[in-house]
Formats: sequence, structure tokens, C-alpha cells
Amino acid sequence: MPDSIPTAERPRTEARKHPDGGGLVRAESLVKRYGSVPVLDDVSFTINEGITGLLGANGAGKTTVLGLILGLHRPNGGRLDVLGRDPWRAGPEVRARVGYAPEHHTLPPDLRAAEFVRHVAELHGIPPEEAKTRSSDALWLVELGEERFRPMGTMSTGQRQRVKLAQAIAHDPEFVLLDEPTDGLDPTQREVMLELIRSLHHEFGMNIVLSSHLIDEVERVCDRVVIIGGGRTMAEGTVAELRGTAAETVTAEIDADPEQMTALVTALQTSGLSARADGRRLALLVDEGSDAAVGTALDLLRDRCIEQNLGVIRLGRRRLTLEDVFLEHLR
Amino acid sequence: MSERPPPMVEPRDRARIYDQGFRRYHGTRTGVGGAVRSLVKHSIRQSLGIGRSARYKLVPLPIIFMAFVPAIGLIALAALIPVGTEDFLPTYAEYYALVVAALYLFAGLVCPELLCNDRRTGMLGVYLASPLDRPRYLLGKALSVMLLLLVVTLGPPFLTLIAFTLQNEGPDGFGQWITVFLRILASSAVVGAIYGAVGLAISASTDRRVVATAAILSVIPGSAIVTDILVNDGGFPPVLRLANVMFLPRALVHRIHAESGGWPLGENPTWTLWSAFFGWLVLSSGWIWYSYRDLVVRR
Repeated sequence: MPDSIPTAERPRTEARKHPDGGGLVRAESLVKRYGSVPVLDDVSFTINEGITGLLGANGAGKTTVLGLILGLHRPNGGRLDVLGRDPWRAGPEVRARVGYAPEHHTLPPDLRAAEFVRHVAELHGIPPEEAKTRSSDALWLVELGEERFRPMGTMSTGQRQRVKLAQAIAHDPEFVLLDEPTDGLDPTQREVMLELIRSLHHEFGMNIVLSSHLIDEVERVCDRVVIIGGGRTMAEGTVAELRGTAAETVTAEIDADPEQMTALVTALQTSGLSARADGRRLALLVDEGSDAAVGTALDLLRDRCIEQNLGVIRLGRRRLTLEDVFLEHLR
Repeated sequence: MSERPPPMVEPRDRARIYDQGFRRYHGTRTGVGGAVRSLVKHSIRQSLGIGRSARYKLVPLPIIFMAFVPAIGLIALAALIPVGTEDFLPTYAEYYALVVAALYLFAGLVCPELLCNDRRTGMLGVYLASPLDRPRYLLGKALSVMLLLLVVTLGPPFLTLIAFTLQNEGPDGFGQWITVFLRILASSAVVGAIYGAVGLAISASTDRRVVATAAILSVIPGSAIVTDILVNDGGFPPVLRLANVMFLPRALVHRIHAESGGWPLGENPTWTLWSAFFGWLVLSSGWIWYSYRDLVVRR
């Protein structure tokens, strides 16, 4: 038995690093079509260490991106590099080092969770005896230790989601792909799952790609985000970068008809403000969200309204969220 | 002053943590070969109901028993009857005629269990996200089916050979014994390969296990009935009997054991039997690959 460090003193595990120091995944101008139907058209991104969110509406091509990363589909164009290899040519080698939790909930109903996780660990190259131990450890980690000998058909959706997470991590992959890991979970289960995902990175140094259409969970858990839409990369960066370091929005409701609103927006833009109208609602983006900058924007709005003899019904200010960024890119 | 008794517990500096919980893995990995081995092991366990509730063992174990019953009966008979009067006992080649029902029942059970279930339960997606690719997955499944069918094709005649040898009624001499053993092995492989290939090809065509089982149990004896009617009543040439997948392996087994017989294909030249055998294998493998090549896998 090797000398052990007491659990409480165990140092935090370093995040797994790419051997050549580059990103775990690098995609350049990826194109993927199914027959004549284009799914991805010029998608480029880099996935580094940490938790990366792959964000997009349903049908945006997130699962296709995951399939390309695993080497299950051949891209029709562009270049993809996973752990320094081309996944289409070196699929088995790449997949041996990547964990994957699929989106669907159907798993063999008569199979016990421990046996399923052990089998997947063995498939990824863990010797049988070690796989047995690691499957138990992984199931205890996802808080299914007591349930590990139950057939998966008798488990709730939340438990099955955790089994999928356990099988994805049991073989100690370089990084894990989680496809909609909170799908079908109630708010409490969702919170537990997100906490688990966070702890996998922070305590065990595991790198994670979280594919989701739920903006708030990506915003809460991920360090970096790649937004995909319309077959293209719409945005990429840290959550803070995407929101703008301290960006705020000043919102106002103006008593004006459409023509007057158009004139007001033009006047505000001429004054150097980023303004957008939606009916009687007006949004001013203030890149530098200091009180002084917001005050200047409010002064300009007041002055332009006075000039055009318009009444202000409501005024407010709020910090930009990832949802604003996402919706902005969708427009 | 008396000596101090030894401590009841080990000193604290020798304490060890035996369960470290989830941690990194730095050992060697078994690679793609390990993945195929794991797939084969898991598939065999799944088919025999090992590690599953009792109801999953209800069908496979009686079928295996069914295949062994004639062998056990023959061994008992050989032990009871006087030496020199055992001519009425079936030969090794004739043995397959006694267990043909168990053989194709087992193929009808095992093949759908191994292929249809993976597609229905999403396991195929899990397998293809591992180091296995489609050819290796199918190779692993074919190996599993072959090993499982060998339990019923090789097990009983081999048991008979061992028992006859122990009763001093086996082949004469070591060389003869090895020849008989190799013939049993080749016969078992031929029977297992053709029933396994046809069973897998049918199972590759549907997600529904019951449908696949019904189709296998219809197609194998159905080929015998249809070819018989076409040749005997329809005036078609006897070469059409080569499409009789139920009796083709039996005819080949007779040729392997250098025995006459193998009705109803006993009159066909040996090369035509082997051509038909490989034709069935190629046709079945081609269909399986065609079904899986572009199969959209649920993820």
C-alpha cells in the first residue's frame, strides 16, 4: 500500500494540460453537412483548460460539434485538432482520452449502475480490477454510492444523469464532454448537478465542455463560452469578455411614435451612444459601466428628449447578462 | 514489575488510508484490444443473463441444457451397453442432427440480444464514443456470438469425445484422437459461423428483439421448406438446395468428418457446399456492414 496523504490535506489537483501547451480542442473554419443540409458552416473556436460552455439554441449544431470532436463524423471542410490529433484519423486514440456523457436518458434498464460504469471504464482502457474500483469511486463521487448496485431502469432521471457523469469520468479522461447534463432535472437536482460539475474541475482538475442551451447555467458554471448559431461561431471568450468588462444597459420607455423613436435613436447615436429601439422601449449600451459614464448617458438621453419634446415614462439600468449577449448575436 | 502488554492497536504513525476515493489514473491502458475484450466479455454475460435478474437466465440456460442432453444420453448408453454393440450410436457428424433445434433457437436468442438491444438502449452510442469504431464493434459482437454458439456446437460433441475416450470407446491412438478433435472443432466453427452470420444479419435489420428472434426462427427452417418445395415440386434445379441454410452446415459437417450423408444436400459436390457456405458468410457480413455503415446513432 503506498503512503497516502490524509484526504483533508490533499492538495487541489492541477488541471490537465495539453502536451504542447496549446488548447485541448482547436477548430478552424469547420464545415459539416448531412447530405445537402448544412449544419456547421465556418465554425472556429478554441477550448482550453477549465470549464467551457458550448452554447446554442436547440438544433444549432452543438451535438454535431461534439461528434466531430469525438471523431464520429468527418468534417466536410476546415481543420479540427483534439489533444494534438486529427480526431477523424485518430478516432480510437482520441476517444480513449475523452469522456462523453450523451444527451439521451435511455440506458440499459436491467444493467446495474456499477457494472455499466465499470464496462465503460474498461472500454476506455482501464484494466478490469482497476475499473471495478474506479467505477465505485466515481459513483460515490456523484453521490450514488449507496445506489450503485441498482438496475438503471429503476433510477430517476436525476440519478441516470449522474450515472452518465460517472461513466464519463471513471476512466480519468483528459477532458469530458457533457451534452445537456441538466436536461430533465428539477431545480434542486439541477443545482446538485451544476455543483458536481464545478467540483470536478476545482477539486479534481478535470477539464469540461458543457453543451447546453440554458444560458444561466453556462453563465454560472463556465469559465469560457463558445456561442454557436446559424452554423457559425457567433462569439467566443470568457463570460466577462462576452458581457463586456463592466458593461451596463440603460433602459427607458419613451412616450413617442415610431418616427419619433427613430429620430431619437439617430440623435443618440450621433452623440456617440450605442442605442437600439424596440417599439417604445429604448436600450443604451454603456461600455464602461461606471456611475459617471452611466450619468453621462442619462444626461444625453434627457437632453435629446427635451430637444424633441418627448416624455420619459420609465428609466432603469442593469448589468448585461450572457443572455443579452446571446440574443444580441441572434438578431 | 510486570512487562507491559502489547498495544491493542497499531501505532499511529503506521496508520494508512485504504480508500482514497476518486483520483487520477496513472497506470497502463489496455488500448483498443482491451475495449474489444471488454465488449466480448460484457456481451457474453449479457446473453447468458450473468449479473442480471433470474428471468434473464430462464431462456438461455435451458437451451444450453437442451444441447447437452443428447450428449449425456449417449455417454450413459455407451456405458451401459456391452462393448461391440455400440454401432447404433450416432457418429460425431450425425450428432448435429440431434441438436439442430437447440442450435438455431440459441442463435435466435443470442443475436438479437446482442445487436438490437444496443440500438434500442443507446449503448451503441456509448460504444462508438469509446475507442471502438463500427468495424471493431461489429467484430466484437461477431466474436461474442461465435463464442456463445461454440458452447452449444462444440461443448456437447467434445464432452462425448472425452467421455468415450475415458470409457475406452474413443478413437484409436493419439493421432486419431487429435484428428477427431480437429474435425469436431471445424464442424462446430462451421455450424456456429453460418447460424451466427445469418442471425446477426437479420438482427442488424431491426431494433426490435422479438421481431428479430421471430425472423431468425422463421428464416432458418423456412429456407429448408422453401428450397425443398421449389426443387421437389417446382422443378427448379437441385443446386437451389444450397440456399437451405438449415441443412447446409449439417452437410458440411459430414464432409469434414469424411462421412457420407448430409441429407438433403448429400448429393452436392463438396466445393459447391463450401462455396454456398462462404457465400452465406459474405452476404450476411455485407448486409450487416451496409446496415451499420451509415446508421444514425442516437446521442
